[in-house]
Amino acid sequence: MNTGEMAKITFNLVVLYVIGGLIMAYVYAVTSPIKFQKEKAEKEAALLLMMPEADKVDKLGDWHPHEKHAEYYAARKCGELKINMVKDEKTGEMKEERECLNPEDIGYIAEGYGKGYSSYIHILTSVDKSFIIKKISILGHGETPGLGDEIEKDYFINQFEGKSSDNMVVIKGEAPDQIEAITGATISSRAVTEDGVKNGVKMLEEKLSGEVQ
Amino acid sequence: MSVNQKSNWELLKNGMFGENTIFRMAISLCPSIAVTNGMKNGVALGVAVVFVQTMVNFTVSLIRTFIHPKIRIPIFMLIIAGYVTIIDMLMSTYARPVYKEIGLYIQIIVAFASIFARAEVFASKNKIIPSAIDGFGSGVGFLLAMIVISFFRELLGKGELYGYSLISGNPLLIMILPAGGFLAVGLLMGFFNWIDMRFFGGKGASGV
Repeated sequence: MNTGEMAKITFNLVVLYVIGGLIMAYVYAVTSPIKFQKEKAEKEAALLLMMPEADKVDKLGDWHPHEKHAEYYAARKCGELKINMVKDEKTGEMKEERECLNPEDIGYIAEGYGKGYSSYIHILTSVDKSFIIKKISILGHGETPGLGDEIEKDYFINQFEGKSSDNMVVIKGEAPDQIEAITGATISSRAVTEDGVKNGVKMLEEKLSGEVQ
Repeated sequence: MSVNQKSNWELLKNGMFGENTIFRMAISLCPSIAVTNGMKNGVALGVAVVFVQTMVNFTVSLIRTFIHPKIRIPIFMLIIAGYVTIIDMLMSTYARPVYKEIGLYIQIIVAFASIFARAEVFASKNKIIPSAIDGFGSGVGFLLAMIVISFFRELLGKGELYGYSLISGNPLLIMILPAGGFLAVGLLMGFFNWIDMRFFGGKGASGV
């Protein structure tokens, strides 16, 4: 191969890759802010569903499972909902404004990540005040379709209700006190149970058990 | 350089049956075995492949005169990965409900041997329209294979079809596990070979 041909090949490769890179960068620049907003809105909607009896969900702090940013929250119920009639300054009409008096913590919610077969699984876990799991929800993942993505299904997720962090062990076969593995997706089941949920609940226990007692 | 002389219909038929990705060429078996334990998954992956394969063949053919033959492989890689990345970004932003259903399938197309093979064998040597038709036909062939395999695996392994329960009782669990995938693909491949040899005078997939 002579120098001329080598230069030609290099030039060809560089030009096409730069064009490809620019197109991808452009699409990313356009889509990522919109995507970020939509994901944020979805997360807020999911948080309220985690604890339906709560009146509001307040952020308590941040933590970093697997070097990723995650948050944890308190679900609060208002001791009394005071309805104030206030005058809207723009229109001059009277409207209702709710004020939350004596809010009381009824539980906590942890956002977390579990390291799965082919992705980090993004999970929300809600617990009551004694750190018994009430509900979990899978916000996002990239596990194998047909096998790993069964973690989204109700039959798997519903197993978590009423269990504590000590029960977060995956068993192949029947396990009423622990979590039953999904057939063909043991790694994904473990990632949710023994990584994402367990570490999330433990983190809540460590950070909040002082406040509760 | 072999230039295509076939009519459009022959191209379509060739992609669907004559050079069927799974049953004749035996490529892209890995992702297909992973997802064919249910018809819903199989169809979703098939549809995603039809789309990406058509677009990749179209693009490769469009820029085929600019691609130096010695570096065609990394260029094909760029085109396939580029399409997958862009579709993934666009869908996750503007079509989130659809993305939740088939986003996972789009991502695994990055490493698809069948798309690579059509770009190399056909699109890099032929004009744009025949290339797009070849990609479409080959994608549809893949989709048909997905439907057939997942039909048997879901029916036998779960007693369901497209998520609806049909048969009660103990299903053959092995059929929805990877081992059952190999069994189903192997038996079906043999069956289609037999049909080809018995009725069409073909030589079977191994005789190519």
